[in-house]
Amino acid sequence: MCAAIVLGGAVALALTACRKTPTVATTSPPAAREPNRDRAAAAPATPQAPSFALRGARVMTATGIVYDRADVLVTGDRIVAVGPALELPEGTTVIDVAGRTVTPGIIDTHSHIGVYGAPGFGAHADGNEMTSPNTAHVRAADAYWPQDPQIDRARAGGITTMQILPGSANLFGGRAVTVKTYPGARGIDEARMDGAPAGLKMACGENPKRTYGDKGGPATRMGNVAGYRGAFIKAVEYQRSWDRYHEKMAQRRKAAAAGGTPRKGDDDRKGDGKPDDPPDPPARDLGLETLAGVLRGEILVHNHCYRADEMLGMLALAKEFGFTIRSFHHAVEAYKIAPELAAAGTAASVWADWWGFKAESFDGVRENAAMLSAAGGRPIIHSDSGIGIQRLNQEASKAMWAGRRAGLDIPDDEALRWITTNPAWALGIEQTVGTLEPGKQADLVVWDGDPFSVYTKAQQVYIEGALVFDRSRAQPAVGTDFELGWDIADAVRGGGR
Amino acid sequence: MIARALRRGLTAAVLLLAPVGPSAAAPAAKPAAARPAAAARGSDPRPRSGARPRGAARLAFDHDGPPIVLVGAELRSDGRRITDAVIELRGTRIAAVGGPELAARAPADARRIDLRGAIVTPGLVALETAMGAVEIDAEGSTRDDTRATPDPIRAAFDASSAVHEHSTLLQVAAIDGITSAAITPQGGLVSGSIAWLDLAGAPGQRVARGGVGMRAHLGQAVEGSRAATLQRIAELFDDVRFYRDHRGAFDRNQSRDLAAHRLDLEALVPVVAGTMPLVLSAHGEADLRAAITLAQAGARVVVVGGTQAWRMADALARARIPVLLQPSSNLPGALDHLGARLDNAALLAAAGVEVGIAVMGDAHNARNLTQEAGIAVSYGLDPDRALSAITAVPARALGMDAHYGAVAPGKVANLVVWRADPFELSSKPEAVWIRGESIPLVSRQTQLRDRYLQRLRDTPKARR
Repeated sequence: MCAAIVLGGAVALALTACRKTPTVATTSPPAAREPNRDRAAAAPATPQAPSFALRGARVMTATGIVYDRADVLVTGDRIVAVGPALELPEGTTVIDVAGRTVTPGIIDTHSHIGVYGAPGFGAHADGNEMTSPNTAHVRAADAYWPQDPQIDRARAGGITTMQILPGSANLFGGRAVTVKTYPGARGIDEARMDGAPAGLKMACGENPKRTYGDKGGPATRMGNVAGYRGAFIKAVEYQRSWDRYHEKMAQRRKAAAAGGTPRKGDDDRKGDGKPDDPPDPPARDLGLETLAGVLRGEILVHNHCYRADEMLGMLALAKEFGFTIRSFHHAVEAYKIAPELAAAGTAASVWADWWGFKAESFDGVRENAAMLSAAGGRPIIHSDSGIGIQRLNQEASKAMWAGRRAGLDIPDDEALRWITTNPAWALGIEQTVGTLEPGKQADLVVWDGDPFSVYTKAQQVYIEGALVFDRSRAQPAVGTDFELGWDIADAVRGGGR
Repeated sequence: MIARALRRGLTAAVLLLAPVGPSAAAPAAKPAAARPAAAARGSDPRPRSGARPRGAARLAFDHDGPPIVLVGAELRSDGRRITDAVIELRGTRIAAVGGPELAARAPADARRIDLRGAIVTPGLVALETAMGAVEIDAEGSTRDDTRATPDPIRAAFDASSAVHEHSTLLQVAAIDGITSAAITPQGGLVSGSIAWLDLAGAPGQRVARGGVGMRAHLGQAVEGSRAATLQRIAELFDDVRFYRDHRGAFDRNQSRDLAAHRLDLEALVPVVAGTMPLVLSAHGEADLRAAITLAQAGARVVVVGGTQAWRMADALARARIPVLLQPSSNLPGALDHLGARLDNAALLAAAGVEVGIAVMGDAHNARNLTQEAGIAVSYGLDPDRALSAITAVPARALGMDAHYGAVAPGKVANLVVWRADPFELSSKPEAVWIRGESIPLVSRQTQLRDRYLQRLRDTPKARR
């Protein structure tokens, strides 16, 4: 339970977006194969929860509908209605936002905020467990520093949700975690997005071979792929051992329910019919647990991969082991294989224009995202940067305009999906966030103009119905503990210059 | 501009301009000259030694050519706007600039280009870039932007000497309006001298001038301490003066030990004399104060970075130190970056500091200069000053304003034609003129795009 916190003085911001319930960690032993758990936790808001309406803005829903003038009605933490001239329930607080534009909260699939904090102290470098090419056992959640000042800046740029990934030094970097940019979180469970599945960071290409080339390998792309395959072969075995265990336990339960005593031979295998002791569970292995979660479709693969040939190779590898890659990341050459990515149902998280910083990024083009859209794929503009994350709307704009100039038909709503709906899908949270639709969490951004203009800024940001950023009242934005205390000298200049 | 160059003692500056046609013979006297108001502000009364930086003679690409007249655009140049402008080009230079009245006086044989509804700006200048010296950042074999030695004093390193004119980076930048680049060496305490490159032009002659500035670093550049950095610079400058005054003794091996090698000392002579700009990274207040002290001692200081410069804007203005910054840099990435603000440029400009805008450390994306300028405007910088920050200010800061940074008579004909607001993300140059020629708007990236667009068109649309 968390009461509204009202800060006085210059930062008169009601910060009500705290967590109500702790999140259950996803570290239980692998369950037997079963369908993905239901993530559509869109419970209807309680009728007594307070309502407010953003009235009269241009509303871009990221569902294909753009209203020139409409209202967004929020009750509690949910959007309950979107449309022109809504009839508002009695007691609704009306916020006039005429002339502004409202979009869903912006979602970044690729950030290292909190695991590579600012300042960039050595002590803050927690993003790359560069001790082995396979560190599938580590979790970004365990290193997330919620006092990272970069979180405040991301929020001021309209970011409400971001996936925090381990770095790309390893073939398997570890588990990623999806967080909301709630202010004032004190630990990962106050930042983590409820119900968001974990991600697994994998990396192709130059980084692993550069990191491990003289530390026992992999030293080549051959070694990289052998490393993925070897690990997944073990994960298949690991899953089988747990499947056998669960099967055996199920039989014991079944026998017990029938009033009998489990006996050796109940499973139609050889047995002497003597009472059977419960089986010992297989030894847990945190890394293989993660990979087994991938094989079961519960953990989503986010694969740092630049070159078209390597992405095609990874798609084939995923097919070999029966999992899917949810999103390639960086995917600088995605435009070369846009139809294949679309057919595979794999998203591509790309930059608008980064290129040339290494050989595998040399073929970057600004039309990358637009060409994926044109092929029916699912492009995402991601940041991988504490600066870029503050303007994903501008990055999307550059990519959109590049596509339009190349003759591709990219409507505003499509480009908006690159930073809302599509990243929500890639993170497995598309039932909860990513559009302005009834039942979705009320993660909203009020912009002071066209979100695709260089001059436009987020004026207000809401997470789950709570105002978490208000530009008119939050300057200078000093939020995290780290940034307190550095400017006291300004106040004690003794009247001198 | 020319007058300013004369005051500086660069008496040969005008002579460097080979004949460019009668209409430009006496550019400073032309009433139509769009003389920027900022020129007076940027003038510098300090005496100059008269020594011209190395490589000065390189700026000899001028030639005669048939006149070209651009008519009808709105010209935005160094704080001025002229509607229905007439811009006359001759060879590689701008011959005349004025309002519609000038059109009648244009040479009869002039090729006329109608730019009604367009906006013309000076060519954009990329500061703090390694383009032309780096192809792929992570591949050492493609990098020529640093002297990779343990010795932190690398003043003799001359970025102009190994420019790769066929670098793919140049055309990627040029088609987005970058016409010149200040190739800036990296690393060490004194990294080396900056070269001024035009992004097109006759092969072998694209470097307009070497030695337009000396790049050096304050902050924790050597020996693990900001104080150690300042001590090394003080010692170095003292030894440069000693060397300059005792060259004979040095050659006879009768000199005391000096803090740098002979070539490095030699390269620093114009810096100590205040004729070559000393381009210094400095972010924190202590370093900015040190930069001001160096300026007061006679160095022609230009500050790069300036994260905390807004805290001491008045002092920087008084010391006439231009600040080159990247407006989007607002992260407290280090202790001397605390207090980083998005309105740094606006606050500095309001105090009278000359603000230049650069995309730092990303040679491949210098093209985002216009976005950075737009961000500065969205946080309070006047749009005309933001344009100057990517055109005129870089030219002034590096002493190239006699030739660059404005669309004005006598200047090199580097200009960009836009259909709308150059800073807006929807904008893209309609034409880019470099040294009097309209360049093809093609890059390796547009070629890659076109190759795969064609394949995409040949492939049936997949289902999502």
